[in-house]
Amino acid sequence: MSPSDTEQAEAGPTDPLADFAADVAAVVGGSGTASFGTVKVTVTADTWVDSISTARDRFGLVFFSWLSAVDWSNEVAVGDPLGEETAERYEVLCTLGDLSEGRRVTFSTDIDKDDAHIATLSSVFPGADWHEREAHDMFGIVFDGHPGLEPLYLPDGFAGHPLRKDYPLLSREVKPWPGKVDVEAMPEKDEDADPGAPSTENPGA
Amino acid sequence: MTSTDQDLVRHLSEVSVSVELETEDMTLNIGPQHPSTHGVLRLLAKVDGERCFDVRPVIGYMHRGYEKLAEVRTYAQITALINRIDWVSGYANEVPFMVAAEKLMELEVPERAQYIRLILSEMARISSHLVFMASYPLELGAATPLFFALRERERVLDLLESVTGGRFHPNFNRIGGVKPAAGAGSTQRKTVQDLPAGFFAETREAMDRVDGAVDQLEDLVAGNEIVLARTRGIGVLPPEVAAAYGVSGPNLRASGVRFDLRKVEHYLPYDRFDFTVPVGANGDCWDRWWVRLAEIRQSASIIRQAIDGIPSGPLQAKVPKVIKVPAGETYVRAENPKGEMGYHVVSDGGQGPYRLKIRSASFSNISILPWILEGALVPDIIAVMGSLDFVLGDVDR
Repeated sequence: MSPSDTEQAEAGPTDPLADFAADVAAVVGGSGTASFGTVKVTVTADTWVDSISTARDRFGLVFFSWLSAVDWSNEVAVGDPLGEETAERYEVLCTLGDLSEGRRVTFSTDIDKDDAHIATLSSVFPGADWHEREAHDMFGIVFDGHPGLEPLYLPDGFAGHPLRKDYPLLSREVKPWPGKVDVEAMPEKDEDADPGAPSTENPGA
Repeated sequence: MTSTDQDLVRHLSEVSVSVELETEDMTLNIGPQHPSTHGVLRLLAKVDGERCFDVRPVIGYMHRGYEKLAEVRTYAQITALINRIDWVSGYANEVPFMVAAEKLMELEVPERAQYIRLILSEMARISSHLVFMASYPLELGAATPLFFALRERERVLDLLESVTGGRFHPNFNRIGGVKPAAGAGSTQRKTVQDLPAGFFAETREAMDRVDGAVDQLEDLVAGNEIVLARTRGIGVLPPEVAAAYGVSGPNLRASGVRFDLRKVEHYLPYDRFDFTVPVGANGDCWDRWWVRLAEIRQSASIIRQAIDGIPSGPLQAKVPKVIKVPAGETYVRAENPKGEMGYHVVSDGGQGPYRLKIRSASFSNISILPWILEGALVPDIIAVMGSLDFVLGDVDR
């Protein structure tokens, strides 16, 4: 899935969320979308910190919600691969909110996998400190200027970055997931039955 | 005063000046196994005498890797994982994830199911806050409130169990609605049984008892000199600092910010009910205790209103047998007992998420510890930590 696919936004021109996304994008110089109730503004990696601090000051987005990343990868060690080809990259995400109307914006930027660097947000939001340490643990992303990029979750000497898509899940290597059964089609009778929906024809059966 | 007395006074004042103690910095290790840490949290506190000047929390002892595990599970299977994040309010963890999946699938959840979710979420809030009402005074040295709080919490958990079949890990939500109540038989056989008989009457009674317990707790704790001395003006958290660290929920509201996701995000029909958002004035430990106490009353009132207005109808929207969530991404957050709990779901159209980011409240809430404990007295570490009401499962995920 490429970022442009999220523009399938059911958002019409009068959708206040889409307007808000456009406003924020115009101020920070990125592109904004609003889909499924989530405003997402994509900026370039070199304007990451500036965009976020500008948006905080201009739109009152003073609440630091979270920061994390997505490993967009065509090869996966475990789990289902993507349906279609994607550009290999890490997408760094950061969500901010206001503390009055409940507006929130998820900022997004792409960074190169071979050179996974981005400037730290911890000078803008001190709460970003732990979130960036977590992203460093899990994805190996380096946050330049971070005051102490030590492991947060992983034990000393842990090799690898577990949330990268090329990182295997050892329990699955040893034994296939028995829960796979749950998602296979049920035996043929009741093909179109809807198990959870109530039925009036035979209550109490 | 004779001249010898004056000499003595002069002498003593000189002594007190000249005997300034050379204190050596000491590192105080607290945890990871310590009753006040609600799980396994380690604090490395550098202390100078009785004052901390550098506190470093060490977390990760309970990291279970749910975000990775979610990538190899289907949406339905993930429900069983995520109610273990904050196990003190397991039910409430499930709701925002379900809402996120339903949003991506553009499903309309039947109203009755939404009301049931709301009632159970508020019960989870009451039981979580009652645990706080039990444990916090205990940490300060008062054992009695525990009995008053846990007795009513047990009643609420019994009700949760009567509906879901589980006290802590209900696994009760389904994409598109909720499961038929416990004991209703197999969903495959199309049996529909709603909430258990007598549920509404018992819930009303339980809510009255909860209100009674809140009054008792207020009498017991709010009038206690020692509790007041240990919590008033201790661990003051200014609102702008709280926001910049992502501190949310009752901890943020105790700092005077009137912000509640139940009022602004429409993940459940809270806009139909009349309730207020209690806020504190000073952002100290006392306010954090008081805000939670006041929230219990509001939750009990919401539950009463929801029971009065619950519509009839189906429990589940029509969903396909094999659930596939269309490609897209969304972030859905909810006001959980501990604060903002949210799920960022990235779907590529498969049966499970491509990436699931879990935003848990306690993680951000305790990231404030180094800031808030700087300069604190050593005995206040426990008072401040306890007042933040975190659960390590919710920190580590």
